[in-house]
Amino acid sequence: MHQLIYLVPLLPLIGFVTLGLWGKKIKNETLIGSIASTTVGISFIITLLIFFELLSGGNTHIVKLFNWISVGNFNIDWAYQVDQLSITFALFITGVGFLIHVYSIGYMHGDRSFYRFFSYLNLFIFMMLNLVLADNYLLTFLGWEGVGLASYLLIGFWYDSKFPGVRITWTGDAGMKAFVVNRIGDFGFLVGMFLILITFNTLNYNEVFDIASSNYISYANTGIITAITLMIFLGCTGKSAQLPLAVWLPDAMAGPTSVSALIHAATMVTAGIFLVARNSVLFSLSETTMSVVVVVGALTAIIAASIGLVQNDIKKVLAYSTVSQLGFMFVALGVGAYYIAIFHVITHAFFKGLLFLGSGSVIHGMHGEQDIKRMGGLKKYMPVTAKTFLIGTMAIAGIPFFSGFMSKDEILWYAWSSHHGGGWLVWLVLAVAAMFTAFYMFRLYYLTFEGKERFDHHHVHPHESPKTVTFALITLAVLSTIGGLMNIPPALTPWLHSDPLLKSWLKPIFANANMVMGEHAHHGVEIMMYVLMALATVVAFGMWALAKKWYSDAAWSTPRKLAKNYQPVYKLLLNKYWLDELYYASIIDPIQKLSTSFLWKFTDIGIIDGIVNGSAKSVELLGNRIRLIQNGIVQNYAIVMIAGIVGVIAWIMFL
Amino acid sequence: MYNAVVNELIGSLGLIKPELALLVTFVVVIIADLIFKNNKVNLGLSILGTIVSGIFLIGMSGTNTSAFANLIAVDPFSEFFKYLILISTLIVLVMSEFSEELHNRDVWMGEYYMLVLGMALGMFLLAGATNLIMIYLALETMSMSSYILSGYTKEIKRSSEASLKYVIFGSLSSGIMIYGMSILFGMTGSLDLYAIQSYLAANGFFQPAIFISGLMVIAGFAYKISAVPFHFWTPDVYEGSPITITAYLSVASKAAGFAVLVRFIKLTFFDAAGSSDESWIMMNSIPWDMVLAVLAVATMTLGNIVALWQSNVKRMLAYSSIAHAGYLLMGIVVMTNTGLMSILVYFFFYLLMNFGAFIVVMLFAHKIGSEEMDDYEGIGYQAPVLASLLTLFLVSLTGLPPTAGFIGKLVLFGAVLDSGWYWLAVIGVLNSVVSLYYYAKVVRNMWLRKVDNGKGTLKFSIQSQALVMVLGIPTLVFGLFFGPIMRWAEHSVRIFLGN
Repeated sequence: MHQLIYLVPLLPLIGFVTLGLWGKKIKNETLIGSIASTTVGISFIITLLIFFELLSGGNTHIVKLFNWISVGNFNIDWAYQVDQLSITFALFITGVGFLIHVYSIGYMHGDRSFYRFFSYLNLFIFMMLNLVLADNYLLTFLGWEGVGLASYLLIGFWYDSKFPGVRITWTGDAGMKAFVVNRIGDFGFLVGMFLILITFNTLNYNEVFDIASSNYISYANTGIITAITLMIFLGCTGKSAQLPLAVWLPDAMAGPTSVSALIHAATMVTAGIFLVARNSVLFSLSETTMSVVVVVGALTAIIAASIGLVQNDIKKVLAYSTVSQLGFMFVALGVGAYYIAIFHVITHAFFKGLLFLGSGSVIHGMHGEQDIKRMGGLKKYMPVTAKTFLIGTMAIAGIPFFSGFMSKDEILWYAWSSHHGGGWLVWLVLAVAAMFTAFYMFRLYYLTFEGKERFDHHHVHPHESPKTVTFALITLAVLSTIGGLMNIPPALTPWLHSDPLLKSWLKPIFANANMVMGEHAHHGVEIMMYVLMALATVVAFGMWALAKKWYSDAAWSTPRKLAKNYQPVYKLLLNKYWLDELYYASIIDPIQKLSTSFLWKFTDIGIIDGIVNGSAKSVELLGNRIRLIQNGIVQNYAIVMIAGIVGVIAWIMFL
Repeated sequence: MYNAVVNELIGSLGLIKPELALLVTFVVVIIADLIFKNNKVNLGLSILGTIVSGIFLIGMSGTNTSAFANLIAVDPFSEFFKYLILISTLIVLVMSEFSEELHNRDVWMGEYYMLVLGMALGMFLLAGATNLIMIYLALETMSMSSYILSGYTKEIKRSSEASLKYVIFGSLSSGIMIYGMSILFGMTGSLDLYAIQSYLAANGFFQPAIFISGLMVIAGFAYKISAVPFHFWTPDVYEGSPITITAYLSVASKAAGFAVLVRFIKLTFFDAAGSSDESWIMMNSIPWDMVLAVLAVATMTLGNIVALWQSNVKRMLAYSSIAHAGYLLMGIVVMTNTGLMSILVYFFFYLLMNFGAFIVVMLFAHKIGSEEMDDYEGIGYQAPVLASLLTLFLVSLTGLPPTAGFIGKLVLFGAVLDSGWYWLAVIGVLNSVVSLYYYAKVVRNMWLRKVDNGKGTLKFSIQSQALVMVLGIPTLVFGLFFGPIMRWAEHSVRIFLGN
């Protein structure tokens, strides 16, 4: 079965090419949507079959399609690596991807570039699958750049509509911002790749990891490993929107909502998590890098969560929430709990996908309105959306036994207990971030679906979304509820003395990393686990109650008063810590000034253009002289030719 | 004794099956033309013959031997060029079907196909020839057909003029070449390149007569590949000929010329004892590498800077093809197998992009009745598909990623740098920069000038667009995935060096 892995990316590629070339001719929206969804759906089924094959005791398989580049002793195959990690990612990429394709059929109904949207979406799936299935860095990088491209195209999909942001006017600008910020990260990835090639002489994952893990004592904490992993991590901060490169994700919400759900919540932004997990051996070899990952993750988690407290755009709240949740995942990676990070990636894909699709349904039903201040009471009009949204909210807030509870609780526990960078401080930061999360999510729910109807009844007639939309919502709601069962924390099943399902499934992937870190398997249940879990539960419910109380009051008197009393803090959060402005003032503007006045006007126009134009002029003049020899008179040609031969003879014989 | 000769002949016949297939097709097309008087039949038969020849060629892959007592070598090196020639022939045959220039007149097309096949046959023989007489005959077979073909639209004045210039100039270089051959024969007592090599190996000092005669023979080849200063016929003939023949001359005929040039130098002047794959040593202290380096520099520089001034796209492509011959010559200068491989790779990509560019120019000429750069203004919006493809071909000809042309230049310049010819590589790169200017000029006119020229869209048949696609897609794909071509070329650098 695993030999069929090539079909998994190939089918979306076929969809992309078909729709890209002939989509315009196919007028029927249903047909376009079906083509796009079917290709991803079949990919999902094939992945599922391969998953079952692996489950029944398969090892890592390398499926080589063809030799891609072969220059000297540098050899790269276009090959896919079928193992627990890649299949896990492939499963939810195609699975969630399929649902979002179906959802988009209803959501994008009537758009003038319906076919273009679906062809981009298929392109994205193709690239994302290459990213996770690759058996070498270069192929991953191809996918990495490819998803960046797809993301750029989709953020700016409605390129001629306005989008407000810091020095952003059009959605196209937002796409550009995402692309440029990502380039900084990609540069890190590239440098990391070059360093790996120099150090290990290969770009093949398994070869690199074999060399690194069999000589781990000599590699541990060396400068080169730290440099490699830090560079790769820089790439991850770009793709996964961590500090200092987090600024693009909120603006990426300029794209259609299903794009935000698929690319900017469920899949692409987790590419950074994937890359660190894939390179777990290398990361485990550098304590410095691991600490950096923890610090960056924790800071991002709390800063983004605090910004989320005061945002009023339904999608922006979710965007900051995504950034914050990704921070949680990075903390899990940084403390060496790799599989927990993957667990949270999966549950997050479910509930964040659901929340985004729900917000899309709301925006759709509200005729494009995104400001939650002008919503309220929508439960009556869109019951399915409201219920599923509540489920998603409960999952992300950490209400017990929902999927988010299971994964977030595990992250908090490892943040507390890990011997690799864990501690009370990390735990505290994350716990506060989780508290913020619970608050702003319930705030979002109550402002949107409950309370007084604050929209203009004459212009806005809220309505429930079509079946294709609610189908996706319900499916994801079910997954958000029960998805945590794949990895029930040991604390909840103390009578079992085996690893949870996901952990044992992913064990082979992280075996080397654990060996390098000197981590030993322990199934023990500690009393502290229950204390922390109870604390988190109390906080989650407390925040729910608080949000309900504050925002059921039609005048929002308490939050208004707080905003007024703590004006500076409120301003700070509302303006997102002025991060965008800071970047402009400290980096972009100085560079621009330097470029315009010195590099452009002086160096480029004065010096370089002078030289170039001068030489171009002289080449031109020379050409003008020489072409006169070509005058059409055959005798002259013959003379020049003979003279040429004589000239060469004379040169060789007499010089 | 008698039996041995007969056996040799019969055995050799088996080695030239692809050539025989072309020959038979050549005859069959003449007869079919008399009976059916139908262009479609002629075309069909010619294509069929080409394909059959190709099948025979595939069947013989990997053969490395000599036929007819060292008249022709049948080795992977000639095989590669034969594939290039066959592919070019197929493209030309199909392309001719779309050419209005050839069809929209009262002249009968019968012998056109026959002559194309005759030219292909000559090139096939040239690619393998290892005997001076054989080389001469093959070259003339090819030239005779091309003289007639370049003046095929004889009612057009510039076509006849082109043909006449071609003949006069061709005769002159043939004369020089055969004069050189006769001196070489007189000095060494043999026409067989292997025997000449043995003679030279035994008399390993610098002999002016050997050098001069060798140079005169090479001049004959340099004329075929239009190296400076033997290039003068090129712009006039390329501009005057039917565009199908221009494309054919610029690719296939040039390929055959390179094949024989490399083989002649390697077989005749190559010091078998002192050389390795990594560096060929030339005998008799003749600095062929330096001579060729100067030719290369002169060729690419002149081709490029004169191309700057052209306002006619076809003529610009003619000069640019001179420049490309200059780049390709660098591959011989380095005198290594890597250099040879880079020539093969470059040629394969050059075939795709050059044919592609010529076909689009032809199709545009049908619709707008002009090949002038100025008339291309705004054409990108009238014919987006073909204009995009032309852009792709021009980008590839410049040698920019992600196109095949970039890989070709990368491999070629890589080989030049590897062998330490830094100054040559620098001149080559500077030349590429110059070429960007005139290629980009066409692109600029197509897309950035007269964006709303108010003219309606141009309609092209699906078939003609498909033909261009067939060349355009590989130009892009091989820019990203070039492994197979590199390996194929690596396997094809083996030249049969005698028993």
